[in-house]
Amino acid sequence: MLPALRPPPSAASAVPYTYCSPPRAVPARPKYRAPLEADEPQKEPARWANLMYDRRVVRGNTYARQAVPTCIHHPNAFEIQRQREARRKALARKRAEEQIQLRTPEPVEGREHVHVQTELYLEEISDRIIEVDVECQTDAFLDRPPTPFFVPAKTGRDVATQIEEGELFDFDIEVKPILEVLVGKTIEQALLEVMEEEELAKLLAHQRAYAELRNAELAEVQRLEEQDRRYREEKERCKQQQMEMLQKEKETMEKIAAQAFAKRYLTDLIPSVFNNLHESGFFYDPIERDIETEFLPWLMTEVEETLEKKTLGRVMLDSLIRTVTEKRLDVFSQKPLPDQVEAPAEEHRPTDNAPQVAAETEAADQAVTADEETDQPAAEDQASHHITFQSEEANQEAMEDSETD
Amino acid sequence: MASTLISAKLPPDVDPTKAPIAFGRRALPKLSREIQSPELLTQQRALMALCDLVHDPENVYQAVQIGFLENLKTLLLHHDSTVRQKTTEILYIMAMHNVGRQGLIQNAVIPVLTELLDDPEDICRKNTHQVLDMMAKLPEGAVDILHAGLIPLLVVRLKTESDEIQELILGTLSNCLRMEASEALATDAITILKEKLTHPSATIRNKAAQVILEIGTHPEGKSTVCEEVIPLLVSLLEDTDPEVQASAAGALMFATIKPKGRCLALRAEAIPRLLKLVAVENSKARLSAIKTLTMLAEVAEGRRKLLERTDIFQQCLRDPSEAVKRAAEIAIRVIRWKPF
Repeated sequence: MLPALRPPPSAASAVPYTYCSPPRAVPARPKYRAPLEADEPQKEPARWANLMYDRRVVRGNTYARQAVPTCIHHPNAFEIQRQREARRKALARKRAEEQIQLRTPEPVEGREHVHVQTELYLEEISDRIIEVDVECQTDAFLDRPPTPFFVPAKTGRDVATQIEEGELFDFDIEVKPILEVLVGKTIEQALLEVMEEEELAKLLAHQRAYAELRNAELAEVQRLEEQDRRYREEKERCKQQQMEMLQKEKETMEKIAAQAFAKRYLTDLIPSVFNNLHESGFFYDPIERDIETEFLPWLMTEVEETLEKKTLGRVMLDSLIRTVTEKRLDVFSQKPLPDQVEAPAEEHRPTDNAPQVAAETEAADQAVTADEETDQPAAEDQASHHITFQSEEANQEAMEDSETD
Repeated sequence: MASTLISAKLPPDVDPTKAPIAFGRRALPKLSREIQSPELLTQQRALMALCDLVHDPENVYQAVQIGFLENLKTLLLHHDSTVRQKTTEILYIMAMHNVGRQGLIQNAVIPVLTELLDDPEDICRKNTHQVLDMMAKLPEGAVDILHAGLIPLLVVRLKTESDEIQELILGTLSNCLRMEASEALATDAITILKEKLTHPSATIRNKAAQVILEIGTHPEGKSTVCEEVIPLLVSLLEDTDPEVQASAAGALMFATIKPKGRCLALRAEAIPRLLKLVAVENSKARLSAIKTLTMLAEVAEGRRKLLERTDIFQQCLRDPSEAVKRAAEIAIRVIRWKPF
């Protein structure tokens, strides 16, 4: 219940009615607010009369308020004074309390006052108030069952309408375009795919045909190549064979010619060789050789000895004859003068004959020697004959020599 | 009331696994940004959306223009398998268009694909091989694959992979070796291919025979093929599948160029089977058979046998295919040639 209404003041008091918020016309507002700096010192006058922001409206609980002020907008002078005095008194009271407050004396020098707890048990003093949480819980409830389906009570009246066949729309006619579109698009998609595959198949077929032709042509080319290679090789081989044959022929001819020449050359070889050998004395008759090498030298040495003996003999004879002639000369030179005429003649003659005499003496010597020698064994008769013959020859030779001199 | 006009846009779909596509030209740039986002789900959704968009060649062109391939290259090495799978699928679809193929070559995507050959996921590997197969059909793509040194790796994987992937590998190999056959010789591919020639699947036999054909175009390859494979190829001439017969005839065509190969083929009774093949409908088989018989006719023995059967070649002179006619003329000329 609302508190008792205050009687309307207009009936009894003589105070003229004052508006709490006087009506006023809507002031012309600028479109944009003025900048903030201008406003800071003073607040704008309240432009609205909003209940929520009105200071006159009591907020909070109203049970504890002491007095309901009649009107705070126009207080009496008495009221003002009273308020001031109340304020002064409060202030004085506060100061008095402060002074009365017991003060402990100031601490002595070197010490200081400390607040200490003197109780038995120390207590932690803090601003925080010790709180204890206590909970309590109600029993677990069952789940709230689902609300039953609300079916409002039937109101109104039932009314029915009937639609005859063919009144709304004709399904067959209406469905046609939809169906056409559906089917058409499906078929189009299918056709696209089929065309793709067909294109591929055509491509493949084209390629295959081309490949066929190409392979056939390639095979032909390679076959012709092969053929050509074979023919060429055959030709080369034939040519090669022919060349070889010619070569062989030439060689054989040369060989034959060389053989003939060599044969002819060599026919003379053996006889000439034998001749040479024979001439150089490789083939010798051993008896002849023997005779030559042994008998004849021996014979020659023997002959030499014999000849030496002969010459020795002659020399001896010569010397004998010489001595004899010298002696005779000596003898003759001691003979008389007639002999001297004869002597020169004889000398002449001896000089002429001297060589002759000498020769004769030589011969005589020789003869003497020969004679002397003939005194010796007669075995040497023949030899002496020979020797005389030879001495005569020697004489003749000497004469010839002297004549030639 | 809806009209029956079909718009150029794809029908709207509410697939939650796909990222929403922006309108018109903004679609691809937005997806490009989303793909680079650090969050996995965004990337996956963007990739799914891109997968659908890329079926349109114009989008492929635009994608290549704005440099999508760089991002895709980085994503190829992502740790998440879905991302890798979708990326490889996208690359495959792009490779089906010429613009895409050119873009793949210019951005050097193939060396990065090398890393994926060992992927643990089957589908990733299959897609990778599909991409390589597609790229190999283009001459520049085949050269690119050769430069990346993929041939030895592919040959090794022939032994271990599943049948589908083997078909793809064989296709790639045959296209690449057409450019340059020497790589295969270094890796001893012929032993592996010999096994494949007796595989139960006809497609694999067919493709293996084609690879052997390509190897046979190389002079060294011819000698290797001669030594090991000719009897097998001759037996394949009577295979049930006509394609296999045609490919086997083609491979023999190159293997019999060398005299050694010719002797081996003659000894293996190739002539009667080839004569049968000449009357077959498949023009490729006819052409290859006639050419092989021409090779065999270079040998005296072969000439003797074929002189009796020149009527068959006379028939071929009236063949509808121009190449077969020419081949038949050459064959007749070679058969009737005398050494003197």
